Amino acid sequence: MLLKVENLQAQIDEKQILKGLNIEVNPGEVHAIMGPNGSGKSTFASVLAGREDYEVTEGSVEFDGEDLLEMDPEERARKGLFLAFQYPVEIPGVSNKLFMQTAVNAVREEKGLPALDMFDFDEYAREKIELLDMRADLLERSVNVGFSGGEKKRNDIFQMALLEPKLCILDETDSGLDIDALRVVANGVNALRSEERSFIVVTHYQRLLDYIKPDHVHVLYNGKIIKSGGFELANELEQNGYDDIIQQYQGE
Amino acid sequence: MVKKFSPAVRAAMDHYAQLSDDLNKACDNANFVELRQAAKTRFLEQGFPGRRDEDWGYTKLTDFVQTHYRLEGVTHLELSDIQPFLPKYPALRIVMIDGWFSESLSDDLSELPAGVSIEALKDMAEIPSIHQVLNQHQGEIEKEPFAVLNTMLLSDGYYMQVSRNCALELPVFVLHIQTEDGHLSNLRNRIEVEENAEITLVESYVTLTGSAEAFSGFTNVVTEIDIAAHARVKQVILQQQAPSSYYFNNQFVYQGEQSTFNTLYASTGSMTSRHQNHLQMDGEHIESIQNSACYATGKQTVDSRTYTEHNQVAGFSQQLHKYVLDGEAVGVFNGMIKVAQAAQKTDGQMDNKNLLLSDQAQMDTKPQLEIYADDVKCSHGSATGQINEDQVFYLQARGIPKSQAIRMITEAFLLEPLEDVSNNEIRQWVANALSNALNG
Repeated sequence: MLLKVENLQAQIDEKQILKGLNIEVNPGEVHAIMGPNGSGKSTFASVLAGREDYEVTEGSVEFDGEDLLEMDPEERARKGLFLAFQYPVEIPGVSNKLFMQTAVNAVREEKGLPALDMFDFDEYAREKIELLDMRADLLERSVNVGFSGGEKKRNDIFQMALLEPKLCILDETDSGLDIDALRVVANGVNALRSEERSFIVVTHYQRLLDYIKPDHVHVLYNGKIIKSGGFELANELEQNGYDDIIQQYQGE
Repeated sequence: MVKKFSPAVRAAMDHYAQLSDDLNKACDNANFVELRQAAKTRFLEQGFPGRRDEDWGYTKLTDFVQTHYRLEGVTHLELSDIQPFLPKYPALRIVMIDGWFSESLSDDLSELPAGVSIEALKDMAEIPSIHQVLNQHQGEIEKEPFAVLNTMLLSDGYYMQVSRNCALELPVFVLHIQTEDGHLSNLRNRIEVEENAEITLVESYVTLTGSAEAFSGFTNVVTEIDIAAHARVKQVILQQQAPSSYYFNNQFVYQGEQSTFNTLYASTGSMTSRHQNHLQMDGEHIESIQNSACYATGKQTVDSRTYTEHNQVAGFSQQLHKYVLDGEAVGVFNGMIKVAQAAQKTDGQMDNKNLLLSDQAQMDTKPQLEIYADDVKCSHGSATGQINEDQVFYLQARGIPKSQAIRMITEAFLLEPLEDVSNNEIRQWVANALSNALNG
């Protein structure tokens, strides 16, 4: 098993957001986590990535056999956990190239591989740019500065391709994307799918899932997963909204 | 009204007045003596500024006046001594040791490229017109206390002339090196760039003993730059003197029509440093860029200020001043853009951005506009903040350790003003110096 989350509870500013979340992810699986606004979707993604604002109060997260919650954010990334941000951050003056060369070499160091020099990195990055059909000048620009919303998210997918993680978490990557940008992101994800690599796709809507076709769909509500199923569950949510499932859950 | 001074300030004033008398006795030449004496009268009235002087409220001189810096002494250095301070890029080399021109370490002045002449100011004392030349901008100079002190102690500097239509390809690199603890380097420089001429000037202020904690030197510079019509001057100043030193530099710059002036001040050294541009844009369609990149830590005070006058139509001026402050450092920025009534279509932008790396660091900033024309585009802005945690987390989430992430973000912040330095090698040279300072 790649990821095992048991009874995860977390709060921010003393407000309880996650209230006992359980999920298991095997290598190669694609899971979607859906839910209404405020259900805790982004909190879950942030807690997995190690954002300090959130305090884990209960539960455990095992990642590839290790205690994830004990690790710094950078250690999680080096061990193969990747978060595609809901709002990728602009960093003026830092070039994408320097940023990603540093990041790739940090991950390579963890794997016991030699660092890539400028020329090797350029070649490696070019392959990924071609794979994802992205613009060649991407590397020369400052990280996300002057990028459109769609470009920022594509840049995150590009980073994902470079770092070759074991577990990719997409935090509402589809929000605000037009159909063309959505397709680029979805193609990127599909190009990176493999038997070893798993995905958790956090989303409010079904439209990204139509392209990605997850193996499992979970409904998150009030800090807990209240229903799990296959891809058909996403269709049901798209048709009927969350209300039926929530009412059914509250009735139990 | 007669100004009152504390005993410590009075003692320091008397000390420097005495140095001026000593220079006059030892000498020399009526031109210099006359200039020094006029300045001395002014200096004894005006004295050193105190905290009540509006422009000096945040740049304290309390410790500075305790040490009475000496002016004598000429240290001999070998080329090997200064080698570590020389850049790898090709340049004409001028070396000033403790404020005195070094003939042995500078390039041969008789073999400079055609159209360029450089001389040591002390060798020009006999020239009858020198008195007039040095007095040309007296009105502006005498408003600045340290510039008055500079004239009172007039001794050496460099005098550079670039003749009409001469575009000098090689940059001129001036190494200002302090060798002796407790010593004053009093530099009076003058640069005349004639019509349609071009020059790139790099000035590096260093201490022979590098970062020796206890070493304290006092550098007091006045540089006058006259830029004639259509002429182009690019200038980079890097100040990395030993941490207990003092640095004061007043630059008086005069631009003629359609000329361009592009200056960068980069600062990492000295206990207290104050760099000031006094810029007059006296023709039409003039362009000027004035940037600074300052890093200070410990108990350092770094002060960079600009005074920019738009006096004719369609002038363009742009400024970006960035400070990174750590420890208990104090940063001071003061900028004034003055647009005369005649200066319609002026475009003047002034921006000051500051990053505080510790809770004790402090930034005092005062950008100002004074506009008498009605058809202008002017703006000023200032922002001070701490490092953006979201940026740090973004880098961490890609496997980069937190400390390295902070360094990358800070460095990128500080180096932005260098983007206007068009020569790659010079830009890289300044960037390396700033990065090294940031990385301790």
